[in-house]
Amino acid sequence: MPINASLGDLSNGLLLVAVVLYALAMLCYASDFAFARHRIMAGLTDTTVAEVAVPELVAAGSGGPATNVTASPPSATSAAGERASRWPSGFWLRLAFGLTCAGLTAHLAAILARGIAEHRTPWGNMYEFIAAFTCMAVLVLVAASVRYRAYYMGLFVMIPIVFGLGIDLTVLYTPAGSLVPALQSYWIAIHVTAMIVAIGLFIFGAVVTTMYLLASRSVRRLAADQPSWSAGILRHLPAPAVLDRLSYRSILFAFPVWTFGVMAGAIWADHAWGRYWGWDPKETWSFITWVVYAMFLHARATAGWRGRRAAAIQLIGFGCLLFNVIGVNIWISGLHSYAGMG
Amino acid sequence: MTATEDDATTADVSTPGRPVSLGPAGWLRWGWRQLTSMRTALILLFLLAIASVPGSVLPQQGIDPAAVSQYYQSHPALAPFLNRLSLFNVFAAPWFAAIYLLLFASLAGCVLPRTVRLVGSARQQPPRAPANLARLPASASYVTATAPAQALQQARALLTARRFRISEGDGWVSAEKGYLREVGNLLFHVALLALLFSVGLGGIFGYKANRLLVVGQGFANTPTALDVFRPGRLVGPGNLAPFEINLHGFSAKYVSSGPELDQPLSYDASLTYADRPGTPVRRYQLQVNHPLVVDGVSVYLIGHGYAPIFKVTDGTGTVRWDGPVPFIPVDQTTLTSEGVIKVPDAKPGQLGFAGVFLPSAIDAGGRLASAFPAALNPRVSLVGFTGNLGMNSSQAQSVYQLDTTGLRQLPMQAEPLAAGQSMKLPDGLGTVTYLGYQQWVSLAITYDPGQLPALLSGIAALAGLILSFLIRRRRVFVRATAAADGSTEVWLGGLARSDAAGGFETEFSELAELLRAELPAAAERPFVPERGEVVTPAAAAPAEHDGASAQARASADGQQAAVTDTAGGSGHLGTGVSPVSTVSPRASTDGE
Repeated sequence: MPINASLGDLSNGLLLVAVVLYALAMLCYASDFAFARHRIMAGLTDTTVAEVAVPELVAAGSGGPATNVTASPPSATSAAGERASRWPSGFWLRLAFGLTCAGLTAHLAAILARGIAEHRTPWGNMYEFIAAFTCMAVLVLVAASVRYRAYYMGLFVMIPIVFGLGIDLTVLYTPAGSLVPALQSYWIAIHVTAMIVAIGLFIFGAVVTTMYLLASRSVRRLAADQPSWSAGILRHLPAPAVLDRLSYRSILFAFPVWTFGVMAGAIWADHAWGRYWGWDPKETWSFITWVVYAMFLHARATAGWRGRRAAAIQLIGFGCLLFNVIGVNIWISGLHSYAGMG
Repeated sequence: MTATEDDATTADVSTPGRPVSLGPAGWLRWGWRQLTSMRTALILLFLLAIASVPGSVLPQQGIDPAAVSQYYQSHPALAPFLNRLSLFNVFAAPWFAAIYLLLFASLAGCVLPRTVRLVGSARQQPPRAPANLARLPASASYVTATAPAQALQQARALLTARRFRISEGDGWVSAEKGYLREVGNLLFHVALLALLFSVGLGGIFGYKANRLLVVGQGFANTPTALDVFRPGRLVGPGNLAPFEINLHGFSAKYVSSGPELDQPLSYDASLTYADRPGTPVRRYQLQVNHPLVVDGVSVYLIGHGYAPIFKVTDGTGTVRWDGPVPFIPVDQTTLTSEGVIKVPDAKPGQLGFAGVFLPSAIDAGGRLASAFPAALNPRVSLVGFTGNLGMNSSQAQSVYQLDTTGLRQLPMQAEPLAAGQSMKLPDGLGTVTYLGYQQWVSLAITYDPGQLPALLSGIAALAGLILSFLIRRRRVFVRATAAADGSTEVWLGGLARSDAAGGFETEFSELAELLRAELPAAAERPFVPERGEVVTPAAAAPAEHDGASAQARASADGQQAAVTDTAGGSGHLGTGVSPVSTVSPRASTDGE
């Protein structure tokens, strides 16, 4: 089937719109930090504690058999209050979150248009792959914002997203096209999709962990009465333990997905190349990534390793992941060399 | 070796420093403890990751032998040294095997005792409730008019309905849930061991082979008919499935315009096969991603190319070669291919030719090049040699390379040949005719009995992983005591034995709220707990995360103050106001 060029152009335009909206959202998240006075040390004030605590209880109770809890007067009133507090508060944060959601919509539409234009799953080369996993990362940000009120992560997640998409659109751009025979399989929809989901979650986890390391350092410096230059921004973050847990959650989600993705890749490799594991550079690095993240999970459960050491291991794992996604494609040739970059 | 916090902690504690004096048994036990400790496992995991890196950076014998010889040529001094360290065969190197075998020994040493413990604990009842439930990470309390026995009865019913395992005694109920977490964790680790065994199984009983097949040719699956045959340790020639394959046609489609020019769109090989000689012949369209499975063996299409057909007549007028010669692509995008023809029987002198095949020849600035991978304008240019081809020597020769030492290049016309054109060789050595071309495919033939076990192990590992991540093991205790005024004080305490991602506090407060709602309140007196009603993990125990403690403690204080303010000590527990008090601030800020 021929490539639909006009839909391909539409996809390019939509992706550009998404980047612009993300960049604006990033500025608004920053403005929220700069101008909003309502939430200093957001996670530490008792108001936030009270805001969150009650509704969570209700949310959990309404799912179970205990409807009588939700019916009791104090819970009911706080449930109404909660429905409002799940969403962002303050002008800048609302604007930032709105822009994020609008950007995400454009981003999703760009991917959809590209897929329709090409009559295939639109993750066949580096350009499409990066567009897809950055989209997943924004999706994770939005979900974490609403579910865990992690709006404070908006700025820090948007920085790498805007940067990555910018490079994707300028340096790595590949026009809509067809797939080489090796990629013509339904396994692309399974294996690569799993990898995209996992990478999006890993990105979010890595950004949160970076903020955890900075925040815990800042807390130590504050305790020693030597505030660092970043203390002004970092005081908008919740307690390091909260960041640590948020990051851990995303890895807990990502790791099985990554495991599944590697396994699906092995099954596909068996279909296409006649062996399920052959230590191709891409396979080797996905194995290394897996091992380092497994180390992180073990380290975090071990006394003396949890905290900053485990966080450092997670960042090493993310470094391996980045090398696998980008470095292997650029510097090492192997069976996975169809990213459109030689 | 596992993500269970309590186990990990004990493992760390039980890893002692160097003992002062131990017998041989003591040393063994010490060594075993070291090996199975979490720290050792972490180091081994790290080593495994590091050790894999050279395998992706340096060319590997098992993946690309040609690249290894290339490396030998460009780094003549370094290559033998690297080879001595097995760095061209990392994943089969003894030191790599040492790392993963130690890791798996460490894993087994951790998993087996835990399996025994799990079986033991599966039969055990939950432990007796601690005396002071307020000391537990999560706790709640209230006063009710119900008698203690009845309150406990209701707690028991509630916990049983939620599938807790229950044990009870005088004035207490204790409940435990989430044994499946440990099951999942063990399943994951055991499945990894099974995966390693499956890979080994394939290496011992499986085989891999390659065969290049020109259209019109066929072969039977025997070691002699295969170009490359790599059997597992226990595979003999008689173990090969005796199928036969004949190739009848091959077609490749390419993008012929636009930015993706030359990109392949499809490869399609038409073949017939028979399970064994004499059985019915069946057809199959072999494509990439659509292997042929015959008799448990898989056949894959992994490459293709052109085989120009030549007829070589020697000086005596005898036809010494007449047939296709597979040429190897040297440029994958345009399929410019190179190959050689060796005619050792030619008289008066042996003949050898090195040729270049251009599927779509064009004149690129006075030099011939191929513009497209499909054969739109096929041409062959040949360079002839005569002399001793050296084929009688004992040294093995590649059929794709011509060793020109001892050969004399013939002065020949430079013009490439089109199909049907001949070229007369000088000195009465004969003629060579290019008759046209045929296509060839290269097939990979693999048999891996470890495949299915490996897949099942992988699925089991994933299932175990998800189980162990989703489920937390937790205990809930209830104590009820009669107060002097006839009302009953009910205490709830809970702890999660593995709750790294949090979430137990929510469940606990929900349980506490449910139980409180079931019991009629004793409204006549405000209940003032002796030890303070709100006990938060952050306030009660040193916080586990660096730097978190100061903040968390501060926030816990803030919350306590808030609760006390809103409730005002006016019988709030009895009148059912404040479920908030049971929620620890750490979970709250987290939004769980």
